[in-house]
Amino acid sequence: MLFQLQDVTKTYGSITALDSLSVTAPNGAIGLLGPNGSGKTTMIRTLLGLIPADRGSGEILGMDFRRQHLDIRAVVGFAPEDECLFPRVVGVEFVGYAGELVGMSHKDAFQRAHEVLDYVGLGEARYRAVETYSAGMKQRLKLAAAIVHDPQLLILDEPTNGMDPAGREELLELARDLAHNKGMSLLFSSHLLPDVEAVCEHVIVLGDGKLLTSGNIQQLKQIHTRCFEIRLKASDSKFADRLMALGCSAEARDDRILVHLPEGASPQIFWEVARDQQQQIRFLRPRSSTLEEVFLSAVEPQ
Amino acid sequence: MPIFDQGYQHWSGELAGHTWRWMVITRQGVRIGLKNRFVRILLLVAWVPALMLASVLCIWGLLERNSDLIAPFIGILRSLFGPQSVADPQLYRIDVWTICFHYFLQTETRFSLLLLLVIGPNLISKDLRFNALPLYFSRPVRRIDYCLGKLGIITTFPAMILILPCVIAYLFGLLFSLDITIVQDTFGLLLMSVLYGLVIAISAGMLMLALSSLSRNSRHVGLFWLAILMVGAIMATVLEGVDHQQRIHAYRSAAGNVQSRDAIATAEIEASRTDWRPLVSYTADLSRIGQQLLGANQSWEKLSQWLPPNERDVFLLKLVGPQFPWYWSAAVLLILFGLSACILKIQIKSLDRLK
Repeated sequence: MLFQLQDVTKTYGSITALDSLSVTAPNGAIGLLGPNGSGKTTMIRTLLGLIPADRGSGEILGMDFRRQHLDIRAVVGFAPEDECLFPRVVGVEFVGYAGELVGMSHKDAFQRAHEVLDYVGLGEARYRAVETYSAGMKQRLKLAAAIVHDPQLLILDEPTNGMDPAGREELLELARDLAHNKGMSLLFSSHLLPDVEAVCEHVIVLGDGKLLTSGNIQQLKQIHTRCFEIRLKASDSKFADRLMALGCSAEARDDRILVHLPEGASPQIFWEVARDQQQQIRFLRPRSSTLEEVFLSAVEPQ
Repeated sequence: MPIFDQGYQHWSGELAGHTWRWMVITRQGVRIGLKNRFVRILLLVAWVPALMLASVLCIWGLLERNSDLIAPFIGILRSLFGPQSVADPQLYRIDVWTICFHYFLQTETRFSLLLLLVIGPNLISKDLRFNALPLYFSRPVRRIDYCLGKLGIITTFPAMILILPCVIAYLFGLLFSLDITIVQDTFGLLLMSVLYGLVIAISAGMLMLALSSLSRNSRHVGLFWLAILMVGAIMATVLEGVDHQQRIHAYRSAAGNVQSRDAIATAEIEASRTDWRPLVSYTADLSRIGQQLLGANQSWEKLSQWLPPNERDVFLLKLVGPQFPWYWSAAVLLILFGLSACILKIQIKSLDRLK
């Protein structure tokens, strides 16, 4: 288990950022989803002991987040959402200093800083002042600073904010590589669903400081037994018309047709209509929900 | 080429404990501070008085050994410290050393306040401006570590010009006197000088840190610092001047303008023992603590004994500083320290706020 929170509440004056939140996350890559103001950043900061919870308890990597926050921060790497820099230093000093602040020796920290800067693709810029870095470079620099001490858990808070598509893809590739090939657990907070889907296996969805849903992404994207996606060799509206005449509902989506079967009908009906219409079915599968649908259904007011 | 071609290696080293984590912040800050050319120049200039201090101590050591090398300096030493001290240098050794250290530390106090103006404003305000606090506090760094680390930076630079030269000059003085009893006589002075240096560095450093945490704009912090020093000094001077003129007027009216100069000087010294006005000036408060720690006033009194009684008070009035109780200044410095600590506690808390 990566972390668990039990009945955690955090308020800022009259605003409740976390509302009796109870959640458990397994090891691996966890996506933290939620609209703006849903409590994602507060949850991360609470986990790290950066802000005190008003109520509740919990563990992260087997350590009590209320009492062992210094020990937790030694084994967790955190790249905050905001643009934040140690001013007046060059890239390698930035990362080396971050390592020293965790407790690495000066020599180890700087040796490691060079390694991780190469890893994140900032090897050429390591002696440039960090103030001169582009937005994408700053995100990768924050990532390098977060992994310099080889943490067990890496927390990325909105890491792709403000990045161009190429930079975003590079960062996602790094996050994916760390989580899937390097054995580092990952908590990836974002409101960009494709980013979470590209990197994570599990997802936690927050809304108004409460847990809306959580689980394995593939399991959450449920299979619909009465809804199918069909692609024909030649697109033809007659095929859909015929299915609708038989009681199905059909809807064209890109090059496919999304068909809902009526009660009592079986997928055999597709083959029969195709034979009647002299059509070839090139693709047929039960439809599964997208992460967007999972997210929207979770955050939708009941 | 994929950007992760270089690969990622796991690291299995040991992490140090939390106790000395603040030292990392101090080391980094000092390293960055020393990269500033203006700071380096200021440090070099500030070490010139240290050369003078070391020179006087060495000359005094040679005088104690009746060396012919110092014959050209005898006249200067007589005019500075009086003929009786040159005639018996060992007897007046501690007083001469005290006066030398006191002058040196007074000069260096001004340099250190200037150095703080160059180093200090950026320390926290720049972290606030670049939003660097989450980078510190998301690592095993506590607020106390952060503040101690920053205080370490801001005390290191004044210590370089206050404490380090004192110790080096002291060692030179020992080497040139070649008399083991000098350690017994003067070691207390060295300790008090170091203590005074620490008082200046920590008190001024805390004040500057608190100011630095109040604004994201370093220039505002610098201006505020100058205002504290200059406005305080100007106010103290004006208040003292007005009070002095009132007293002079009172003496003249009371005695029909016939009081002698030394009688007025005696009365002025007496009045200065309860005059609170210098307390308004931060530098005067530091200076009063220095006088007390080093015992400069007692040394001046001893060195002035050769003067005729009617000239003594005039001499002392010129050379000794404020006479009000030293604990008044200590209280002012302690209040400022506490206030600075409170400001830091409130300001260095930015993660527990809703954006």
